[in-house]
Amino acid sequence: MNPVLQVDGVTVRFAGLLALSDVSFSLAPGFIQAVIGPNGAGKSTLFGVISGYVKPESGRVTFANQDLTGWPPTAIARAGMRRTFQNGGIFRELTVLENVLTGIPQAWDFRIAATALRLPGIRRREAAAIGHARETLDRLGIADIADRVAGELPAGQQRLVEIARTIAARTQILLLDEPAVGLTLGELDRLGAVLRQLAAEGVSVLLVEHVIDFVMALGERILVLNHGEIIASGTPDEIRSHDAVLEAYLGRK
Amino acid sequence: MSDLEPIAPRYVVRPRRRASPIWLVVAALAALLMLPIFVNSYTQYIVNTILLYSLVGLGFNIVLGYLGQLAFANAAFFGVGAYVSTLAAARLGIPFWISLLPCGVFGGMVGLLVALPALRLERYYLAIVTLTMGELLRWAYIHTDAITGGSSGVAVPDPIVFGHALTTDAQKYYVCLAVTVSLYWITRNLLRSRLGRALNAVRQNELAAASLGLSPVRVKMIAFAWSGFIVAIAGALFSIVLGRITPDSFDLTQLLLHFAIVMIGGLGSLAGSLIGAVLLTAAPELLRNVAGVQEIAFAMLLILVLLLMPQGLSGLLTRYVPALRDRFFGEEP
Repeated sequence: MNPVLQVDGVTVRFAGLLALSDVSFSLAPGFIQAVIGPNGAGKSTLFGVISGYVKPESGRVTFANQDLTGWPPTAIARAGMRRTFQNGGIFRELTVLENVLTGIPQAWDFRIAATALRLPGIRRREAAAIGHARETLDRLGIADIADRVAGELPAGQQRLVEIARTIAARTQILLLDEPAVGLTLGELDRLGAVLRQLAAEGVSVLLVEHVIDFVMALGERILVLNHGEIIASGTPDEIRSHDAVLEAYLGRK
Repeated sequence: MSDLEPIAPRYVVRPRRRASPIWLVVAALAALLMLPIFVNSYTQYIVNTILLYSLVGLGFNIVLGYLGQLAFANAAFFGVGAYVSTLAAARLGIPFWISLLPCGVFGGMVGLLVALPALRLERYYLAIVTLTMGELLRWAYIHTDAITGGSSGVAVPDPIVFGHALTTDAQKYYVCLAVTVSLYWITRNLLRSRLGRALNAVRQNELAAASLGLSPVRVKMIAFAWSGFIVAIAGALFSIVLGRITPDSFDLTQLLLHFAIVMIGGLGSLAGSLIGAVLLTAAPELLRNVAGVQEIAFAMLLILVLLLMPQGLSGLLTRYVPALRDRFFGEEP
């Protein structure tokens, strides 16, 4: 099957420091792939390059046969790729429902004149969006906090809200930056089930994660980054017994 | 493949939390319509001023409160609206009601102009650059005296609405009321939509907004144009309510008043704009006869609110009346 995402020879340097060095891999449709590695390995930089926030020095990112390299984040998002942020990308002063509503399909299609006059078509469209947003919250098991102000929630729930926002639109690729941080075991199970379900529907998921059990249980394929280079790639079992990984990541000799 | 399709809905929709108090709106409108019967001309004039300044607050709040940009070109929008409407009537004989909408469009274009520095500059730098807009325009009004009448200003002809010249404050009141209610309604509709959410998104986290396909550049442009549109129309109302405009009407004192309306009323609050306008236009009138007290009261109020209520009076009020809190989504299905 053709990969939905292809990263070819991406190199990134920050002030002379090599953040990513000739990184290449591909992601197949409906696959869950994880990127692991010690702090500073370049995982978030890799996400930045794929989603358009970081310009690579060299290399290419191809998404569904389009060369995305150099595209701004807005255009990449509209093309069907969504991401979350490691440091929390929720809109803290909006309610949970309003947060999820910023992630609905065509959230950028304002129709200003018709909206200003509150025409029936707009009212129907908005009502459908609200129903859909509530359904998305329900899917992640957080429908009961829909009217809470997002910034006042515990960190784990904020993370779930951000994930709900990214899956409110059907995307081809989901990039999740440490989605499991702060989640309770029950929330982790739920998130895992939803991600598997999305993958079964054809969504490709790429996640950066520190919660190893979660990654090992969920990832069908795992990439290991260290010092900006891919040092291993394979199934969870292969990674678990990979010498270089044990050395670099788990700190064993 | 570029279209993002919704995940098939299978959620059982919840009923609406509460019916909108439509009778309350009707009663309030009826009271507002009958107001001129009960008040004298002076009070009527103050009410007219409150209405137009609530629009000033509404427009300023879009950029300052909802979009969160420290842009101070509000007196410029206000002046453009006043001058365009007045000169169209005085020099070209264009009736007030015909020039009103183009006036707003003009203000919207000035808004787009102000949005340009806002795309590059942040915070205090933007504040300084946008401050100069108003001063620049004031200079222009003074030095193009052949058209604007220079620093002595220009008399505003009686506004013509549908062929009738409006001479009394009560007649002007109905124009102010109709325009204010319409623009409040329109703004509320826009806030309770994708656009209202996008403004908040861009204010709170531009990177995250972009990751959802919302373009910060486009959202800022729209917000500035929308703000300029409303405030320019408020300026047109200002000209007919006052009857004479001079360049000094649009100086830094005017801008400070606008800023105080938003800050005291409440940043990013529809109700706040109205509360701020009532307090800052009615209170000075009440204190008019006591020399010096006006300025002191004004300054004290501003300091007190900024120290004790960073969310303004509307922030305090919404704690007790949650219905006054702005929301950014439409009607439930």
